[in-house]
Amino acid sequence: MTTPDNEATIEIQHLIRDFKPLDGDLLGALHAVQHRYGYIPKIALGVVAHQLRLSEAKVYGAASYYSEFRLTPPPGTLIGWCSGPACHLKGGDHVRRILECQLGIGMEQNTEDNRVGLHLAQCNGTCERAPQVWVDGEVVGPLTANATLDLVRKLKDGA
Amino acid sequence: MPTYGELRAAAEQAWKPIAEPPRPLFAVSINTSSLAAGAQATLDALRGLADAGGFDVMRTGDTGFAWAEPVVQVVKPGGQRVLYGPVTAERAAAFAQAAATGVATEFAVGVISGDAVAGVPMLADLPWMKLQVRWMMEHCGVIDPEDIDHYIANGGYAQFDQARAHSQDELIEIIKGSTLRGRSGSFFSTGTKWSFLQGAKAEPKYLVCNADEGDPGAWVNRVVLESDPHRMLEGMLIGAYCTGATYGWIYIRDEYPLAAARVGKAIEQARAKGILGADALGTGVRFDAEVVRGAGSYVCGDETGLIASVNDGRGMPKIKPPFPAQSGVLDQPTNVNNVETYTAVTTLLRLGADAYSSVGTEVNRGTKMFTVSGDVAKTGCLEVPFGTKVRDLLEAAGGVAGGRSLKALQQGGPLSGMLPAQIALDLPLEPEPFRPLGAGMGGGGLVFVDDWACVVDLNLMFAHFLEDESCARCTTCRGGNQRMVEIFRRVSRGEAQPTDPEHLTSLAASFQYSNCFHGTLSPTIMNNTMRFFRDEYDAHALEHRCPAKVCEALIRYTVANQTEAVAHAAAVCPTGAIARDGGAWAIDDTRCIRCDACREVAPGDIVIEDRYKDAIPLRAIETASVARAGG
Repeated sequence: MTTPDNEATIEIQHLIRDFKPLDGDLLGALHAVQHRYGYIPKIALGVVAHQLRLSEAKVYGAASYYSEFRLTPPPGTLIGWCSGPACHLKGGDHVRRILECQLGIGMEQNTEDNRVGLHLAQCNGTCERAPQVWVDGEVVGPLTANATLDLVRKLKDGA
Repeated sequence: MPTYGELRAAAEQAWKPIAEPPRPLFAVSINTSSLAAGAQATLDALRGLADAGGFDVMRTGDTGFAWAEPVVQVVKPGGQRVLYGPVTAERAAAFAQAAATGVATEFAVGVISGDAVAGVPMLADLPWMKLQVRWMMEHCGVIDPEDIDHYIANGGYAQFDQARAHSQDELIEIIKGSTLRGRSGSFFSTGTKWSFLQGAKAEPKYLVCNADEGDPGAWVNRVVLESDPHRMLEGMLIGAYCTGATYGWIYIRDEYPLAAARVGKAIEQARAKGILGADALGTGVRFDAEVVRGAGSYVCGDETGLIASVNDGRGMPKIKPPFPAQSGVLDQPTNVNNVETYTAVTTLLRLGADAYSSVGTEVNRGTKMFTVSGDVAKTGCLEVPFGTKVRDLLEAAGGVAGGRSLKALQQGGPLSGMLPAQIALDLPLEPEPFRPLGAGMGGGGLVFVDDWACVVDLNLMFAHFLEDESCARCTTCRGGNQRMVEIFRRVSRGEAQPTDPEHLTSLAASFQYSNCFHGTLSPTIMNNTMRFFRDEYDAHALEHRCPAKVCEALIRYTVANQTEAVAHAAAVCPTGAIARDGGAWAIDDTRCIRCDACREVAPGDIVIEDRYKDAIPLRAIETASVARAGG
């Protein structure tokens, strides 16, 4: 009998079928899962562990170690707030205060309706556009406090 | 399998229409910086206009001119080359018409080659270019990084092909003799490191390329991998020949998806041409490679952390010995070098040791790539000889933005330090002069800090970063960074304790018992602050005052003039903190979140002043209750 759970298992097994034990493949397998689902579902930890012949604890240990792996479903729109020094010098904290205040959440949290989430992001070297955020991976900047207010209101209202 | 000569001949055919285009050729820079500036839309727009406009369009990498993105280079049939930017999609039509038929002076940055054009400087005469010796960046913004033929036609893989002319030992000696050292900030002799792997007994041996460029404000490796990935790959192949390594991992941080895609493509293309594989280019060298994408962890930039990350796990740095040359990836002998290091090897051999030594200093010959950002007029990536003065590099970048003055240089990421302007400006850019100052030069990131910034606030920011990124193996690092955050947080709030300087001194000592550089170098910026910026620390600690008016608990926003602009400011305030109080506008400090939205609307009418006008007793300060929620 096919239950939803083992359907998911079969799909994940298929997704990571080319990854091998003792081959430096764990990050690749976890990336493949996150790319497919937007996060790493709990059920995937066991499937990855089985495929790579690792303990599930070891897979969880790695998945939870890295800041770009998510263990919970992503929000509708993810705002990555750049925490780098160029953004900081140009008013990055103003941007952060507005995001947190307007959304009523802190970094690594999602709004109650799961529409918008905040993520503390690391500098990607597009510092000529500081201060900036990444809206679903796209750089938006240079921002002002007022531009941030406009942006966050639009995202919050889903306009 | 074709020989190198055959590959080269075929590649030259493919390159000819680009070197000598039959009609104008528009080369659009596609890289992470340009994409953030809308270069994809520019590329699409120009492609749409190409047929009617009688020109061709190609893609290239990163010129380093981040400040002018989206950048387009136009090559004319007569050989004239002009660099343009910014060219946005909205203005692409006007630009294309002017640039295809003549020179679009309005968009021009400079003439790269060909006759002088009235009103447009020669590119080489720009302050941005004058200091530069672009050896490693020779192809950056020139070739298509996704086409291996472009690299081969320009002499690519010739150094690997010719490597056999030397024995492994000879080649390692050439690299040792060149003074080439690891470019990530460690500055360990590359030739010596390679000789360790060459001498390792166990097989197979592995190479790792460290592209986990985690220092905020540094993107040197990104420029290389997005513009000329084969140059780095050729350095790995030369390393494979010298050391006997047979497989490589290129570990690229998660923030660089385009670099990862381009390196992946480069590997596929090199494999298809027999440059990677069981008998690379018929040299007898067996070498192949793959990309590993990181997932967000600063300490994976440490070589043992990186190896742990590749080895199926948490990227926690390990205690040495064993050293990677004894036991690295999959417990086999492994050599880890930075992207720029492998790239520098290829470049050194292309130029020859004598030419390579013609610039730089006695102990650091050749060139180094730097990225400049922060409060500078022009942000971007430059390649200059070692020993170039910080002052000259700042001038090349157009000086401090807005005509303000330089307060500090924050170089090489959070582990390398922060130096006051009066000392930093005269420093030559090479590692040695930084060390007596209790600092390092780092891997190439240079963040310029102007006098609007507060060093206590910057210190707190970096302390947060170091705390977040500690792998938590060593108590000295985990607990030390937590303590550093705690102390700098209270200093920034004017709640310092008189004994805090002593606490910081003792913390700095205990950090030294950490295993890896993340721990031992965590106190660098804090030590620099206490040594060079003590006045500013004391202003916070003793006077409850932030001289730069940045630290949120020590400032308040107030209405200086009752103007119409203040009414607009009240309308944009996200917390409704600005209200009329008996006819006059006033700001309720308990609601104010210090977001600056009001001051943007009413500059001069709303001002920031010290929250505490007179010194008040220690620890008696209420915390600024910040209305985080609601709005």
